[in-house]
Amino acid sequence: MVRSSPTNAPRRRQPVRQALRAWSRRHAYSLLSSLGSLLRQPLASAMTIIVLAIALSLPVLLHSSLKNFQQIGQDWQRLDTLTVFLADGTGQDEAEELAARIAGWEAVETVSEVTPDQALEELREEAGFAEAVEALSENPLPWVLEVTPGGLSEAQLNQLVRRMEGLDPVEMVLVDLRWLNRLENMLEVLDTVIWLLAGLFALAIVFVVGNTIRLDINNRKEEIEVMALVGATDSFIRRPFLYAGLWFGLAGGLLAWLMVLGSLAFLRAPVARLAASYDSPFRLLPPDTTAVAVLIAGASLLGLAGAWVAVTRHLRHFSPA
Amino acid sequence: MIRFEHVAKRYAGGNQALADVSFELGSAEMAFLTGHSGAGKSTLLRLLALLERPSRGQILMDSRNLAKMPRRHLPYMRRRIGMIFQDHRLLTDRRVFDNVALPLMIAGMPYGEIRRRVRAALDKVGLLSRERAYPPMLSGGEQQRVGIARAIVNKPPVLLADEPTGNLDPTLSEELMRLFVQFNELGVSVLVASHDLALVRQLGQRVLVLSDGHLVDDIPARRPGHGS
Repeated sequence: MVRSSPTNAPRRRQPVRQALRAWSRRHAYSLLSSLGSLLRQPLASAMTIIVLAIALSLPVLLHSSLKNFQQIGQDWQRLDTLTVFLADGTGQDEAEELAARIAGWEAVETVSEVTPDQALEELREEAGFAEAVEALSENPLPWVLEVTPGGLSEAQLNQLVRRMEGLDPVEMVLVDLRWLNRLENMLEVLDTVIWLLAGLFALAIVFVVGNTIRLDINNRKEEIEVMALVGATDSFIRRPFLYAGLWFGLAGGLLAWLMVLGSLAFLRAPVARLAASYDSPFRLLPPDTTAVAVLIAGASLLGLAGAWVAVTRHLRHFSPA
Repeated sequence: MIRFEHVAKRYAGGNQALADVSFELGSAEMAFLTGHSGAGKSTLLRLLALLERPSRGQILMDSRNLAKMPRRHLPYMRRRIGMIFQDHRLLTDRRVFDNVALPLMIAGMPYGEIRRRVRAALDKVGLLSRERAYPPMLSGGEQQRVGIARAIVNKPPVLLADEPTGNLDPTLSEELMRLFVQFNELGVSVLVASHDLALVRQLGQRVLVLSDGHLVDDIPARRPGHGS
């Protein structure tokens, strides 16, 4: 029996510290015994963990692909400009005067002129065009104005395009922006789909872990009864199972991460070849630290949740009324 | 220490296991509980071990009413009771040491203390040399003694045993019963259910006789060695 006397402060603090130590010892015991029981059935545990890892790696892999795709999208941000081709034979004075005029408009942020010579030089640097440029006897390229609009809506943009098309030496206005908008919308839809998938897979993980823990509870009926008999509290009996769920989730998350890294490594060479053929500096990026942290912590929590479901559903029957 | 007041237990199927049982077992008192099988011996012990609740009546232990005790208090009450079963209820995949240590682990005792107490308990039942064995490697009598060590390791004031000698030969049975008498002499209240009437009479302790759920006789203790 622990005695505590109200007149003696240090003596009063003692039971608290003892209780804390006893608490941590009980936790250590649950932690070790849960690990022990997982290791005692290595094959069954491994299969559960692999199922979890596959379920987890799918949405992560999709998410990772999307992130990589968005990285390409960022390269296309330079298409955020309108390309205004001027008619053949437009002179430098005329082009500069027009550029100055357009730059004065409220809807326009910046205007930069590209001379035919500059354009030819750019073309020569582009992949696969160098020989073609060499073959030309004279520069066939027109003057070009690159117009960056200042944060316009689709309707305002159309208006701007029409206004520029009405100007005299303008031959044609090229709008790449709409395409970009559409791509962004598509990526958004894809993102939502991935989150939905992730939600479904998360639910699957809760059920897989829940079912595994339920089987474990059934297999250890005897042990649970004996523990209750010798004075284990409900939470003491519950704890190893909750820890087991946490371990399953954690191991599943770690394995999923490895699987994603493996898959990306597998894809790296073909993607690099594809990028090289477009002369793009693009390369496949692994999931960032935040994604990995979310994956592993999320998987652990899902495992814990699954175990919690099983424990609250099935453990009650074993403690005698 | 323990008091039954008009206790009845009726199971869901309609089986009346106990009907209006009243008796008292004092602190440091020992008694045997006898009766034919199905008389209600196990039910009575299960009620005391808080494995079941009575349908009617009161069970008092340390002047606390077990029938009304909230669920969350039950584990702490069970730690004050050492229970021994006919089928010993050992965990076959844990060593003898870990089996006996279980109640202390649950109580969160430091390892050194656990080690000391487990060895003392195993020494008391004569199994100190087998602490690293697994229960299936032991004989029936040895397994039963491991169960006893587990029941006494926490030094509970009450020891309950349900047919502890059920599967043992007469010599081993008597040895085991003498062990209970020894614990009782150390100040533990002991209640042992047994149908081995000859052995029970020979020990000369108080005997409670159950029949069809009724307490039909309460034979006071004699000095051991006299008659039989």
